[in-house]
Formats: sequence, structure tokens, C-alpha cells
Amino acid sequence: MNIWEIIIITVIKIGAILTIMLLTVSYLVYFERRISAWIQSRLGPNRVGWEGILQPFADVFKLLLKEDISPVAANKFIHGLAPFIAVFVAFSTYAVIPIGPDVTIFGYSIQLVVADVNIGVLYVLALTSLGVYGLTFAGWSSGSKYSLLGGIRSSAQMISYEVSMGFSVGGVLLMAGSLSPIAIVEAQYGWMWNAIVQPIGFITFTVAAFAETNRLPFDLPEAEPELVGGYHTEYSSMKFAGFFLAEYANMIIAAGMIVTLYLGGWQVPYIDKLGLGEIVTALMQVGSFFVKMGAILFFFIWVRWSIPRFRYDQLMNLGWKVMFPLSLINIVWVAALIMIFNL
Amino acid sequence: MGVKKRQKDLTTLDKLYLPEIFKGLALTFKSMFKPKVTMEYPEVKFEPPASYRGRPVLVQEENGVERCVACGLCSRVCPALAIEVRANETELEKERYPETFEINMIRCIFCGFCEEVCPEEAIVMSKDYELVFTNREDAVYGKDKLLVPVHKLKDRLEFLRNFK
Amino acid sequence: MPKITIDGKQFDFNHGQTIIETAKENGIEIPHFCWHPKLSISGNCRICLVEVEKMPKLVIACSTLAADGMVVNTQSDKTIAARNAVMEFILINHPLDCPICDEAGECKLQDYAFKHGTGESRFVEEKQHKDKRVELGPRIMFDAERCISCSRCIRFSDEIAGRNQLTFIRRGDRVTITTFPGEEFDNPYTMNTIDICPVGALTSKDFRFKSRVWEMSSTNSVCTGCARGCNTEIWVRDNKIQRLTPRINETVNGHWMCDDGRLNTFKHVNNEETRIDGPHIRVDGQLTKVTWNEAVKEAVKRLKSFNNTEIAFIGSAFATVEDNYAFQKFSKANFNATNLDFARHVVPGSGDDILICEDKTPNSLGAVLTGIQPVADGMNLAEIINGIKSKKIKALYIMEDDIAQLDSEYETLLAKLDLLIVHASNKNKTTTLADILLPVSTYAEKHGTIVNVDGMIQRMRPAVATEELERSLDQMPMSRWDKFGTKFDRWARGKKYDAKPSWKILGLLSQELPNKLKYKMAEDVFEDVSQHVKEFSGLDYDLIGEMGVKIKSDKITAKV
Repeated sequence: MNIWEIIIITVIKIGAILTIMLLTVSYLVYFERRISAWIQSRLGPNRVGWEGILQPFADVFKLLLKEDISPVAANKFIHGLAPFIAVFVAFSTYAVIPIGPDVTIFGYSIQLVVADVNIGVLYVLALTSLGVYGLTFAGWSSGSKYSLLGGIRSSAQMISYEVSMGFSVGGVLLMAGSLSPIAIVEAQYGWMWNAIVQPIGFITFTVAAFAETNRLPFDLPEAEPELVGGYHTEYSSMKFAGFFLAEYANMIIAAGMIVTLYLGGWQVPYIDKLGLGEIVTALMQVGSFFVKMGAILFFFIWVRWSIPRFRYDQLMNLGWKVMFPLSLINIVWVAALIMIFNL
Repeated sequence: MGVKKRQKDLTTLDKLYLPEIFKGLALTFKSMFKPKVTMEYPEVKFEPPASYRGRPVLVQEENGVERCVACGLCSRVCPALAIEVRANETELEKERYPETFEINMIRCIFCGFCEEVCPEEAIVMSKDYELVFTNREDAVYGKDKLLVPVHKLKDRLEFLRNFK
Repeated sequence: MPKITIDGKQFDFNHGQTIIETAKENGIEIPHFCWHPKLSISGNCRICLVEVEKMPKLVIACSTLAADGMVVNTQSDKTIAARNAVMEFILINHPLDCPICDEAGECKLQDYAFKHGTGESRFVEEKQHKDKRVELGPRIMFDAERCISCSRCIRFSDEIAGRNQLTFIRRGDRVTITTFPGEEFDNPYTMNTIDICPVGALTSKDFRFKSRVWEMSSTNSVCTGCARGCNTEIWVRDNKIQRLTPRINETVNGHWMCDDGRLNTFKHVNNEETRIDGPHIRVDGQLTKVTWNEAVKEAVKRLKSFNNTEIAFIGSAFATVEDNYAFQKFSKANFNATNLDFARHVVPGSGDDILICEDKTPNSLGAVLTGIQPVADGMNLAEIINGIKSKKIKALYIMEDDIAQLDSEYETLLAKLDLLIVHASNKNKTTTLADILLPVSTYAEKHGTIVNVDGMIQRMRPAVATEELERSLDQMPMSRWDKFGTKFDRWARGKKYDAKPSWKILGLLSQELPNKLKYKMAEDVFEDVSQHVKEFSGLDYDLIGEMGVKIKSDKITAKV
């Protein structure tokens, strides 16, 4: 492959991933609304198109047509910049998440990941840490007390949960011996899924992922009843849509990371033993990745409509006094496993 | 509902919260498949019971004349000052009739005081809840919109006779 | 002094006073229907029954003379039981059609049923049916069913109006009131019976069903129908006068007023067809609406184009003391006016010895006292008219009077003038000839004072809002509608005319002239009057109050 082919293939991959991401985000919103409605014995949006299937487009259209307001007290530049940071971080994280094994198309061997970075996991952790800037900037620059409180809460919460998240990942890294997501996926061959090997780490990572994406029961930065929407109180129109997009994109990333790190990524246990063709196997594997991700996303939504929001002190208690020790225990557990079974 | 437990009474399992969380999740999952209560409004319309307080209307007798004698009590009792009555003389036996009778539906709070105070059972709350206007002037309902034949209000009149 | 004990308290009284009078003087109200302080005692309603110690039975307080040492109890069980019984009895044949009845809200029977009734009736038989909508006279409608036969109206027409026109006919529960055969209830004071009727049996044809009493605001004012200046209340709804009622003032009108004053002195205030809305200037032979600024500039410019001796000024006995004072001050200071007078409107033989005066203007004395008279060798009204004939007078400034109406030849004479400036509230013969027409507020739209035939100076207050008056800001009386209305409510959108009081208009004009009138309120003008006119010295609006005061003059004559 020469340099041009690599560039073209990468651009196509970026395009494909972005399209999938945007569509998934839109429909994630739609499904969230429908599922929440069902949970509450309602119907949910079912008017735009068949069973409301075009609702996301109507929503986007509405947001586009709305007036873009920035408050007098706002710092206009940062106020405008914040949603871009949020969206940029959310989308660029996706570059390192593999959705399938290497496949050969038209004679080219293609990795089903935008960038196979050998420190992929670190990259994800770094970018999600950057994401907090978007929220904090938004909160600070709006010139509103609610926004500011939301922004501060978000940074405090993110920092607290990043610790346990990092330590949970530590267990995975120990098992795989690599920071590359592809290597991590491949290390979970068969039933050696990390969720099974290190359930404590799986739980702490999942909980931390909820907190990092500001989803209920950890949506304190938004907290409508107390903060009127938190950091995005003063946002409207497409700038608001930016945060909205970022939140759901973050959910997808979190789901993708959970699948990659703990649920064997694209792997279907022992599928290679069935002796199917390469293309069929690859398709099934890609499919399995999306099915696993879908299940995790459903779980995100399901939890949101079942469990109420934590109080702020409870959030901090949980983060530092429960999650953090648990993730440490997980590392010891994994280390012990490795020592005993000489993995 | 069990007896409320204090924190010191909780067992270790309780303190984990996890069982309760899973119970909650199970509950919401089950309710996803329950029948839905939503009424799909423009196609399916809510038919209110007789006790419903929709927009106030004037009772029109079978002979086409309103019951109202324009005493102005509804107007006086109206806490939102929604009702304006202008009386005049009529040749009919009742002597007095409302020349104009206007209810400002933007002001109306559907409290039903007008109905309660009416000495002639001439103003009653209907089942009509569809009140849409595009400007303030349209929201002022005159006699043309307020008069409703008595047979359409049987439910409410009967309800008033039994419970007022 | 003899003493009487009522409800445990001792009061002094004069010999000849009845129990009810003594009680009333001392603030104890004994219910009464047929008794009226200005009428003879009839004693037929029985609601005023009270218990007097050592008397075997209850006595009626209205006809029992107070006696020294008498002990009266108006709240004893026996009294209250008797009252309840009387209420129940009176209500037996009363139709209880309060929703239809105009009296509702100011009805004695309604009030007493609430205060003294039990709220129940044992009468299950059919009520007596009598005539409804009987025209007793040209202004009075009678509803026989509502009548409780107190005979107040009969006694009023006999004793106060001096015309015995009404009487009871039939007996028992069929008793009703009618006029004597061939008579109509048409004396000049009939409508007072509406006020004294304790129920809604007698109603005004004019006001019938127009408005409920609680929907109107009421403002204390003075009738402008003649020089008597009867005290009135102006009842307003939707910024329109709905009716006038007399206000008690023993030194002026007692409890009464005449039908003419009640009916014919407010219609013009409401008349949208004749009211002048905004200042007008004659352009190409047509009166055209202009702004105040344009009208004032034009008036001053044209007045200045004449010699001072060619201008005549006519004030008005219809205008207030303030207006007339400002008028003479304006004309004398700026135009050295000597040709200054006002028109008399005296109809000989039209007066009576009850209330109605021959002088049909409310403020003749005030106009004279404030100096609306020819100065030195200046012309009076008749001479001014002659002056117009002989072309000596080329410009005429008329304030609030229809001069063209006075005589058939005046109309053609006024048309000959080079300049005619008119202040008027309504269109009339004079205004059609005007070159510059300035709209003035009526008596119901401004503060001011007038002096009646006996020299009583009395206050008038705005009851109707004009464009320059705002009900809440100018502290005008407000009904519930006025208080809570917004610009989006139809009922709050009463017509407001663009008009100002004359003294204010003259003030505007004087701003373009060397000697300015610096008045901000009617009260400022009156202060000026009290400093310069000796009859008014030391007076102010607070002293005049609701009841008026007599001006300081040793020889008050009605001859003006």
C-alpha cells in the first residue's frame, strides 16, 4: 500500500465511522425516548414517520431553526467554543475502538479501526479527561450560577471517577500486556472475557463509565430539578445540540470501551472453530460487536429510567470510598490470578 | 411497603444497594411490556365525566331563549373577572336578559363559581376542553359561542341537581 | 336634660324625639322600612319593634316618643324574634326576584333579610300575583309584586313634592299602589321615590337594567342643572355616567333632587355624537382636528392680530370658579380686556320653593365674584352684541356657553366675526360657527368649585376619565372593573375624550403670551382665587370638603 491508498482508506473509514456514529446518536435519542415511554406505560414519539422513525430528523431540524442565544454576561468566545470541544473529544475518541478483525477487501487488508494506536487505551482515557473542559468551560463562560455549579460539579465528578476507571483498566492491561485495543480484544479469545475473569473490575469500570458520561444516576452536572440543566442552561439551538450530541456520543464510546475491554470486543467465542468463510466470520464478528454495544446502550437507558439521582455527598462517597478501593482490590485479584495460573 | 429501616439496621447486603437496584431494574423491565395508558389525542378523545369542569356555557332553552336573566352574580363572583354581562329589557316574562354576555377564556380559571352562584341554573360548566385561539380577541366568547341547547347539557344539569 | 337608656347605654335627648331618632343620633341602628327622617310617621312596617321595660308589649321605635328614664332594648331575644317574624311576614308575598331586580345591592329588604331574617319561610301556599311593569308616570316604573306597602312614596309625593298623586288601593295581601284616577305620577320630584323605596318596586325607566350598582364607581359631585347645586353622586361604568343620585346635604338639598337635574345634566357627557374630541381649527370653511400645539399657536397668532379693544371675552356661569377666574386673569393680563361679561340663563317662573331655581346656571354668583364683569367703561354682553353689529368688535372669545342659542339673531351676528374662539364640551350652534374650537372637560371630568344661589361654595370631582386623567393615578373613584382591568379587556376600554378644563387651556395659550398663567392643578387656581377675591379668602379645597361652605359675604344676593 502506498501513502495515497492509506490516506484514502483512512478517510473512508473516518467517513463510515462518523456516519455510523451520527446515525447511532440520533437513533439512540429516539430509542431512549421510546424506551423511557414504555417503562412509564406511555407510547413515546410515534408520529413522525412510521412509529416515529423520523423523529431524530425532526428534532435536528427544530434545533437548527431555533434562535441561538448567548447571555449578556457570557464570555462569548469560550461560550461558543465549549460545545465544539465537547463534540470534538467525543468523536475523536472513537478512532481507536476496533469494531472487527482485519478483513481483506479488494485485495487490501484493512483493519476495522480508524487508527490502530498502540497506546489506544491511554488515548481514550486522555481524551475523555479533555472532555471535561468542554463542560467546565460551558459552565464558567455562561455567566450563570446554575451553569457554573454544573460545570464545577462535572469537573469534580470526572476527576473522582477517572481514578477508579484508570485502576479498573489496570486489571485489563495486566491481562493483555498491551495498551493497544486490538491486542486487548485478541487477548480475550474464547471465554476469556475480562468481564468473567475480573467481574469486580467490570462493575467498577461500568459504574465509572456511567459517571464519566454524566448519565443517571450520576447526572449531577445537569440535575434539572436543582440546576435547571446545569452547564448547558444558557445554551440553545445548535450549540445546545452540540452538547446533546456529545453526551450521546460519549455513551456510545463508553459502550464501545466496555465491549472492547471486558466483553471480548468483536469476538464471538470459538467462531473460528466453525470453519466459516473469512467474510462471513468477519461480518458476524462485526455484528457481534454491535449487538454487545447495543445491549450495553440499552442497559444505560434502562438504568436511567430506573434509578434516581445520587446526592452529591453520596456520589463522592461512592467514588472515593467504594469504587476506588474496589478497583485496587481488582488489580490485586488480577495480579494474583496471573501469578497463580501463570497466564 | 415494609417498615422504614434506619441505616444502622441495614445488613451488609442492604448496604450494597445492589439487590434493591436489581429489583428496581426488574420492575422497570417488566413495565415495558405492560399495556400503555396513552390516549392518542386527535384520534381518540377523552370523554369527561359529568363532574368535569370544562368551559362555562349558557343554557339555551328548547324555545331558543337563554335562561340567563343577566343578574350579574357570575360576573361578581368570578375571581378572575372573566365574565362581563350587560343587561337590557325584554318583552318576555323574565323582563331582563343579557344583551351581551362575554367570557374571556384567557381570564377564566374554570373554578365553577359562576355555575355555583347562578340562581337560574343558566351558566354551567360543559365538557368542552378544546379551547384554542390565535389572538386575544378570539378568546372573548360572546353569546353566539356560549349558548348551548339544554339537551346537550343534560349530564351536567343532572349532576348539579344531585350534588350541588 | 332627660335621659334614655338604649342597650344599656344612657343618652340625652330632646323632648319630642322618638326612640328611633335618639338611637340613630347615637349610632344605634334600629331597622326600619317605612320610617324616613324627612317624612311623617306611618308605623306600618313593624320592623322597628323594640322592647321597652315596663311596657307590656313591644313598641315601634319610630312612633314611640322617648321619655325620661325609659329603658329600651333593641337586641333582646323578644325583639329579635319579633324582627324575624316581621321579616318572614313581609317576605311572604315578595317575589324574591333579586336576580332581575335593579334594586339588588342597595335594597333595604335584601340587607335586612340578611341581617335580621332567619333564611327560612313557612309559607308554602302560592304567592299573590300582581301587576308588573306598571308605568306610574313618565319616569317611573312600578312592580306591584315587590312592593311591601311601606307608603314612603305616597307620603313623599304628598308631603315633600306637594302633589298628592299616589294612594293605596285594595286591602290585605292584595293592597297595591296607584295614581288617583286621571292623574299621572309626574311631579318634578318623582324620582326621589326610587331612592326612598326600600325595595325595587319603583325603578327608573332611564336607568332600568343598565348596570348593577356594584359594577359602578360613585363620585361625589354637584348637580349643574340650576343655581341650587344639589349634592349628587355620579355613578360611572365603562367610563360612562349611568345615573345621578342625590347626596344628603341638609344645608343645600336635604335628601332630594329634581328629576330634571337627575336625568338631563349628564347625558351630554356620554354623547359620542356631540362630544368634541380634540382641538379643531377652521380650514377652508371646515373644522379640522389639529394638535393642541397647533391650535394654541393659531389662537394666539390670530388674537394678536386684533387691537385689544376689538376683542370681547364672554365667560360662563356653567364653568367653575377656577375657569372663570383664569379666564378673566388671562384676558385682562394679556389683552387688557375690558369687554368682559357672561350670559345669564334665567327662566322666569320656572322655579319653585322646593329646590328648583329660576337661574338655570350653577355658578352665576361665582362668575360675578371672580370678576367676569365689564371693566370700567367696557362693554357688557348686550353692548358686545351691538359692537359686533357695528363692527367695533371683531374677535370674540367664548368660554363654555352656547351664545348663539340665546337669541335668533345672534347666530348670524356671530358668523360675521373675524375670529370666534370657543371652549365647548359638546357641539352646539356656537361651535359650528367657531374658527378655533377648544374641547373642554365637562363638570364630571374635572376638579373645581361652583357657588350656588345661597353662596354655598361646593366641590366637583372628576368621575369620568379624559385622555389627561388616569383613574388610579389621579385618585378617581374606581369600581372593581376599573381596578383590575387591563388594556386587553374589552370592559376596560371606555371612551376617553381629548379634552381639558378651561383653566388649563388658558394656561397653554398664555405660554405663548407675555403674562403666563402658572397653574398646575385646579387647586393652584383656587389658591390664587382665595388670595385675590375677598369672598373666598382663607378657603381651600379641604375646608370646602364634601359638604361645601358659605362664602364670606354679608350680602349674598341671588340677583346677578
